Amino acid sequence: MKNRIHTTFVLLLLLLCSAFGAAEPGGNGDSIQNMQCGGACHGDASINETSGALLSLSSPATIYLGIPTTLTLTATNLETSNSGLVGLFLLTDMTGHSDTPQDAGWEILSDVNGGAMNYNEQTLDSGQNQTSISWVLRASALGTTTFYAAIHHGGGYSAPFFGTTATGFEVTVQPVPEDLPRLAADFTPPTFRALDTPTELNIQTQFTNAVQFEWKSEDGLLSSSPVNTTGNNSWTISLPAALQPTTIQWRVILEGEGPEQTTPWFTLASEEGSWEVSENAVYLQAIALLFMTAGIVIALQTRITMGANGNDEPGKKYDAGDHI
Amino acid sequence: MISPGTFHVVTTELVVGAFSVAGLSFTLCILTHLGILKRPLWATMFDHIAHFTLAFGLAATPFAILSGLSSAPGEGLNSPILVNKMFLSMTGFGFALGCLLSRWRLGNKVWSSTKSLLLHGSSGLAAVGSMLLTASAGGTFARGESLLDMFHLPYEEVLLFPVLISAIGLLLGATMLVLSWKRMNPSSSVH
Repeated sequence: MKNRIHTTFVLLLLLLCSAFGAAEPGGNGDSIQNMQCGGACHGDASINETSGALLSLSSPATIYLGIPTTLTLTATNLETSNSGLVGLFLLTDMTGHSDTPQDAGWEILSDVNGGAMNYNEQTLDSGQNQTSISWVLRASALGTTTFYAAIHHGGGYSAPFFGTTATGFEVTVQPVPEDLPRLAADFTPPTFRALDTPTELNIQTQFTNAVQFEWKSEDGLLSSSPVNTTGNNSWTISLPAALQPTTIQWRVILEGEGPEQTTPWFTLASEEGSWEVSENAVYLQAIALLFMTAGIVIALQTRITMGANGNDEPGKKYDAGDHI
Repeated sequence: MISPGTFHVVTTELVVGAFSVAGLSFTLCILTHLGILKRPLWATMFDHIAHFTLAFGLAATPFAILSGLSSAPGEGLNSPILVNKMFLSMTGFGFALGCLLSRWRLGNKVWSSTKSLLLHGSSGLAAVGSMLLTASAGGTFARGESLLDMFHLPYEEVLLFPVLISAIGLLLGATMLVLSWKRMNPSSSVH
C-alpha cells in the first residue's frame, strides 16, 4: 500500500512537471521546418491553443524568374510568454509536410537572422505586440505560388499557441526582360562571416555595367562602400571587420542598358563559430561523474568508519566485543 | 503556469540557499568536532542542519537541472558553459548523495574519528562547492558575469572523456556504490 502511494505521488509529480517542458519553450533555433515542426506540441490540436496573432504577407508588385525578391511577414496583436519568443514560418501549403518554399521550387537566399531558413525565431521586447520579418527568395519556375505564414509561441498557462494566415498570398513569377541588370542566376549571397576579419564580398551579375553597394548596421545607419570590378560582371567589395556578433544588411544597385535595379536587402550575420558537442557523451560522462563521486565517498567513508574488515571500528572483530 | 525560466530561478535559489546553509553547517560541525570551536553542544545541531539542508537542496536539484535545460535558448547543449554546468551539478549531486547515504547508514559514527569526520565534512563541502560553482556558471551564461569571476574560472573549456572511459567510470562507480552499500548493510548473523 505504501509503495503504491509513493508510486502515485511520483507519477503525479512527473505529470505536473511535464507542462514546464512542453513544446520547446526556450526556442528551437532557426531551421527549415514544416508547419508543425514534424509533429510538435504547437501543432497538436489536443493540447495547443489558437493564437490571436494576425499575420499578413506582402511582396513587391513584380517578381521576375531567377531574380531575388523579398517576402515580408507582418505579425500584429501578439501575446507571448514572458520570454517574448515567437517562431515564424514561411510556407507554401498548409498540409504540414512538404510545405516549405523549397518544396515549391523557391530558394531562400537570406532571412532576417542571417541564415537561409523558412522558420525564424524572434524575441520581442516587453510590451511589443507586433513584429515584421523578411525573407529573400528566388523563384526557379514561372507561374503562381501561394504562400502562407504560421506562428508558434507560448503564453498564459504555458500552452503552446499556434496560428496561421487567414488566407494564402499569391505570388506570380514573370519572365525576366532580356537586358535587365541583375544578379547572376547562380549567385548565392553569404549569410555568415567570421568575427575580427574584414570580409571580401564577391558578386556576380548579368547585363550590368556599374554597381553601387549600400549596407546598414543594426542601428539603421546607411553606408556605402567602393566597388571594384574583377572582370566582366564580377565585382568585389570590402566590408569592415565586425568586432562583436551583429548583423548588417546590404544591397546593390545595378546599372546597365536596361532599367536600373535595386536588389533586396540581404542579411549578413557575424558571429563566433558555432560550438558543438556529442550530447550522448556529455550525458554519459555526467552520470558517470555522479556514480563515481557517490561511490568513492561511500566506499572511503565505509572503509574509514567501519575498518578494512567491515567492523564498526578498525581492529574490532566481533560486535559487542568489549563485553567479552 | 510559470515559465521554465522563472521556475529555474525559483529552484536554483532553493538549491543554492539550501547548499549554502549546508556548507556553513558542515564547516561549523567540523570545527566543533575538532575542538576548534569550543561548543560541543552545537555539534548535534549543526549535524542535523547540515544534513537536512543538504537533503533539501538535493531534492530540488533535479528540478533545477530540468528547468534549466528547458529554459536554455537554442537546442540542446550548445555552449561549453552548459556542459560544465551539467558536469558540476552531477558531481555535486554525487558528493551530496554519498554524504547523505553515509550519514544515514553509518549514523553518528561518521563523526567518531578525525579521519572519518574530515572525510565526511569534506564530501559535504565538496557538494556545496560544486553546486555554488554551477550557480556561478549559470550567472556567467545568463548575464555574462558572476560573483566568482574574480577567479577567472575556465568555464569555456570542456574536459570531455571518450565514451569508453565514461562507460568504465560509470561501471566502476556503480560497482563501488553497490559493494559499499552492501557493506554498510550486512545481513545479521543472529537469526
